Amino acid sequence: MARRKTATEAPVPRASRKRDLPADPYDVPDEAETPRRRRRMEAASTVNGNIGGEETADGEEAQPAVELTPAKRRGRPPKSAGTGTPKAQATTPSSRRQRPLAETPVRLNGADTPSRRNIADRSARRKSARALIDRVIGGALSDDEVEEGDIAREIYESSEDEEVEADEQAGEEETQEPTTPLKSPGRKRRATGRKRSPTPPRDLPPHEQYFYQNKPGLAKTSNNTLSSLDLLTHDEYFSVLRQLKDPHAADVNFLQSLHAESFQQWAFELSQGFSTCLYGYGSKRRLLHNFATYLTSQNPSHKIVIINGYVRTLTARDILSTLTSALPPSLAPGSTSNPSTTLQTLLTNLSTTSPSTILTVLINSIDAPPLRKPALQSFLSHLASHPQIRLASTADTPDFPLLWDAGQRASLNLLFHDCTTFAAPAPCELEVVDEVHELLGRKARRAGGKEGVAFVLRSLPENARALFRLLVGEVLVAVEEQGGGGGTGEEEEVAVEYRMVYNKAVEEFICSSEMAFRTLLKEFHDHQIITSHKDSIGTELLSLPFRREELESILEELTS
Amino acid sequence: MAENENNSVSFEEDDHRAAFIFNPGPGPGPGEESSNNKQTARPAKRRKVTTVAKADASRSQQEGSAGPAFPPLFNGAETPEAVRLRRELFETAWPVLEGRVQHVLRKANCNTLDEVSSFLRQAAGAETDKITAGFIITGPNIASQDLLFEQLAEQLCAAAQARFVRLRASEAPNLKAALKKIIRDATAARGAEEEEDVDVEVTQGGRKYLDYDLEALHVFLNQQQQQQQQQPRRVVVAFQDSEAFESGLLTDLISLFHSWRDRIQFDVLFGVATSVELFQARLLKSTARQLYGAQFDVVQANSVLESVIKNAVAGTKAGLRIGPSLLQSLVERQQDHVAGIQVFISSLKYAYMCHFYANPLSVLLAGDGRLDRKLLQPEHIEAVRTLDSFKGQAEAAVEARQLNHAQSLIEDDEYLVAQIMEQGQRRQEYLLRLLRALHLVAATGLSSASFTDSYILALSSGIDIEQSSGTVPLEDAVKRLGADEFISLINRLLAAIQAGDPELGLEGWESDAEDFGSSLTDLRDEVDGLLERSKSNRTALKSKYSAQSRVMRTTVVAQKVQLSQDTATLTEEDKAFTKAIDALLGLLSQSLQCDPVDNLFLHEVWVFDSKSPYRDVFVPRPGATFGRALSRPHDYLACACCAKANGGLASTLPATAILYHLYLEAGALINVADLWSAYYALVGEEADVGLDERSALVCFYRGLAELRMMGFVKQSKKKADHVAKSKWL
Repeated sequence: MARRKTATEAPVPRASRKRDLPADPYDVPDEAETPRRRRRMEAASTVNGNIGGEETADGEEAQPAVELTPAKRRGRPPKSAGTGTPKAQATTPSSRRQRPLAETPVRLNGADTPSRRNIADRSARRKSARALIDRVIGGALSDDEVEEGDIAREIYESSEDEEVEADEQAGEEETQEPTTPLKSPGRKRRATGRKRSPTPPRDLPPHEQYFYQNKPGLAKTSNNTLSSLDLLTHDEYFSVLRQLKDPHAADVNFLQSLHAESFQQWAFELSQGFSTCLYGYGSKRRLLHNFATYLTSQNPSHKIVIINGYVRTLTARDILSTLTSALPPSLAPGSTSNPSTTLQTLLTNLSTTSPSTILTVLINSIDAPPLRKPALQSFLSHLASHPQIRLASTADTPDFPLLWDAGQRASLNLLFHDCTTFAAPAPCELEVVDEVHELLGRKARRAGGKEGVAFVLRSLPENARALFRLLVGEVLVAVEEQGGGGGTGEEEEVAVEYRMVYNKAVEEFICSSEMAFRTLLKEFHDHQIITSHKDSIGTELLSLPFRREELESILEELTS
Repeated sequence: MAENENNSVSFEEDDHRAAFIFNPGPGPGPGEESSNNKQTARPAKRRKVTTVAKADASRSQQEGSAGPAFPPLFNGAETPEAVRLRRELFETAWPVLEGRVQHVLRKANCNTLDEVSSFLRQAAGAETDKITAGFIITGPNIASQDLLFEQLAEQLCAAAQARFVRLRASEAPNLKAALKKIIRDATAARGAEEEEDVDVEVTQGGRKYLDYDLEALHVFLNQQQQQQQQQPRRVVVAFQDSEAFESGLLTDLISLFHSWRDRIQFDVLFGVATSVELFQARLLKSTARQLYGAQFDVVQANSVLESVIKNAVAGTKAGLRIGPSLLQSLVERQQDHVAGIQVFISSLKYAYMCHFYANPLSVLLAGDGRLDRKLLQPEHIEAVRTLDSFKGQAEAAVEARQLNHAQSLIEDDEYLVAQIMEQGQRRQEYLLRLLRALHLVAATGLSSASFTDSYILALSSGIDIEQSSGTVPLEDAVKRLGADEFISLINRLLAAIQAGDPELGLEGWESDAEDFGSSLTDLRDEVDGLLERSKSNRTALKSKYSAQSRVMRTTVVAQKVQLSQDTATLTEEDKAFTKAIDALLGLLSQSLQCDPVDNLFLHEVWVFDSKSPYRDVFVPRPGATFGRALSRPHDYLACACCAKANGGLASTLPATAILYHLYLEAGALINVADLWSAYYALVGEEADVGLDERSALVCFYRGLAELRMMGFVKQSKKKADHVAKSKWL
């Protein structure tokens, strides 16, 4: 029974205030009012379901309970003054909460109903409970609601905690003398059960950290945005970058030269039928290039093929054609549609007709997105398993070992070397501005690149494909006429006249009416693979949001 | 940064090409020059490289294109002769071993191959309307299947006159692709000499077949048959990784083969990694009914590993010994990580490479003829004196009061050289002793440890059969032997001595062990006699030790249980047998005794026991490497500015490293605006680095883009300008 009473008076911050309460003249009418209010709550709680109900019952039973307890406790204050208070001063918040228990006699003049604040607490709790229920019923929630929900949950849980604690403390009270409350198991449980600290726990193992950080509702970030910041353009990025001085340039170069000392070792490993894989933070393109130079200086007769994995348009066919041109022309396999069969023939030719030829293949960024396709990796491992082909590669991400299954790993026969260079990636390896803007969702990259176009076109009818081929051809011609400013950066997009394209389309029997032409273009527009705008005098222009190389490879694919 | 920009000028046009032939050009481009300049800033290294290059140029003329040469060690002071000798040693040592290993691997599959081909031959004779199917249980490692199927192809092509087609799931994603591959491989399998046939038959009769039409294959086979008057050829289709095939595809293929049975004889082989039952469960019942199959097991990976170790690592033919701790970790990797046997062989090879490439003392492994006094430089001798085993030897000499010996070891170069020259002989003796002892232990059949385990144990702690302290506690087992077992044990030992172990490359050593052998024979004869006598006495022959196992006697006397010891009944014969057992134990403990390899003088020359290059090179930990580089850049850069950071956050760190630190502190969702303001507060104008806003923003952009490239963050649509964390390791 005593348990009930303490349950109602447990909340923390009241410790000091309660002593003031009796002096408050407004307190008495307030308390007189409570039963009515309580009944209202009860009504509300029955509406609400079970959640509030139990507490209300607690409150009602509290009254008789309180009248019993004081008698028990009356003699106690001197004791608690002697033992309880010094302990309370030991700054643990939990021990402070012990005081109201010891000091209850002070409040005896009141009818000991829950104070106004207590009720306020409770109704807040009820509201938050309702909010929580609503949320669960409502299902999906927006981000903003998450925050509100947090507050609600916090209120609800905090009072629940206290109730549990109070229950336990009170339970002990009955059986045990209150002079030893510090050892109570209830206290211990509270210490672990509560996490109010704003700083996250340090040194968690990674998996724990994952679960901690992905706890629902934990992600609280501010609502700041970058709107006030003027984002970089390509031009500005490069012009600032050029003036920027890297304070670590000398150290980076030194690191590079340290790695360069291993060239001989790597060459030895390659010659013994191993492939090497250089991994670690920083661009290793320069290093690999120097390695190529070293290999050539050692043995000028050995051809070296470099594959740039970071080039987004890379295909097996590119690799294959370069390999073929690097080998003696007598080995060239007949053209077949399937790259892996062509490679097979090429390699067979290599081992039968010229067993002394050795070809070194160096791959920049073997884990770059274009090379992540399983087909390409098995292509490469097939290549590497040939005894006359030596393969060295670099990897830029920490997860690269996942690229290969056991079979590929065995035929690649890889040796790994930690080559952390700290070198900044070259603009061709990493298009910084594009990457960041894409990360921020500011500007989508053009239509998913070449693959995207191929995918879209596959789903379109034959004449749509023909039209797109025509368009690509025209744009390429226009590029050529403008003096073909290749390279990266934001070159001005080349456009062709709408009318001219239409006329050509009609000539080639792609479409018969402008209506049909428009329909075809609309399909392209919908997939964002063309853009159109009007120039200053109002002629409609069509352009393609792709780089020149991409256009070329699209054209190749369309015509093949 | 600016420098980097310059560097890239020289190969800028190649940057955006997907693949190109490397061409350094007649003269070094501007980039080359600048990199050379950078290296001349550190003259020592540059010079080293050039001398190596020169030396190599001269040598490569002598050796042809044998590959890059070894660098001279001892800071470049090693003589070219020594360098070349090391290289030659490597080139002679490894291929021998590799040949043996390949032999072992091929032999391991031998039984399976024979079984499969005889099964197929039988099935060809039998009249059945089902497709013959062989299920080969290959075990989980797909890397080791390749060799098996290669051998199958060879054998079946030769023996059964069959066309062999290997299919892998990745090559045959759908029915059409699978058929194409089957037809192409089956028609072109015989290579160049029949190539014109292919062309003829495809276009024959003015008709051209689609490349997935089995009719083409049928016509081709018919032609072959007519031209060469042979039996109709069979086509064997092997599904290497049958689990990876879609079950629908398998069903389609099988029923298609079945419907073509009257024209083309198809046989199928399945490589099964799990079990035939599981495989069958994936097929339709109607399909499964069209198969007539048998199951074949491949030798388990463990036993292959064991015999590879016996042959290549422990055997007498191995020039270099793999030390116990390295070998242990290699074996563990095989067992725990299901790494294929290929990985083990690569690791072995890498150990050889490391030893001869980087250990100048490896020249001492050269045989008697090639190692002469002139080859040994003062550096070699100095290096020997720094070895642990040299110290051990000297200390042991001092303790044994052989002060002269110790003094000469330390002071007299010639004395030491003589000792060094002797070590080859000692090494041979030690190894022979070790292997013979191990062979005998195995021959006793009393030890349950596998050869690999006992080999590793013997290397690391020696062999000792004493019960309490020994590594191979045989003592009790020997003592408990009965008379019959005793005799058979001796017979086994004698046979082992006579036969040796071909796997280990160990020949019989009867002549070396005459004493041992004759005393064994004596013992056997004696016990034989004892056995005869005790038989005639109608008592069982037992020894003191075996009798002890039945000592307790319980008797009930006056309702009390009495325990009494029974020692009385040892006959004369029993006593003699006990004596014989003691004698055998003495003999065994003498011959089955060996020191750990560490105790040997100069064992560093022929034992490679360093785990670190192996671990770094075969089992990389890229996550940890990236994490370290980003959280403690100073470890790599060794720059003055970041030394104080000591793993913490400092404004001088590279931008990506700063962002990485902030990233680690952030939760699952990161507000980029806040990240930027935190970053800017750290490096901005107020801070000591003092970047202006735009420069800081450039660095910030680059850092963020790099984090994204490395897969640390990804786009998030939950809130504007937020990114999601995607890495917790």
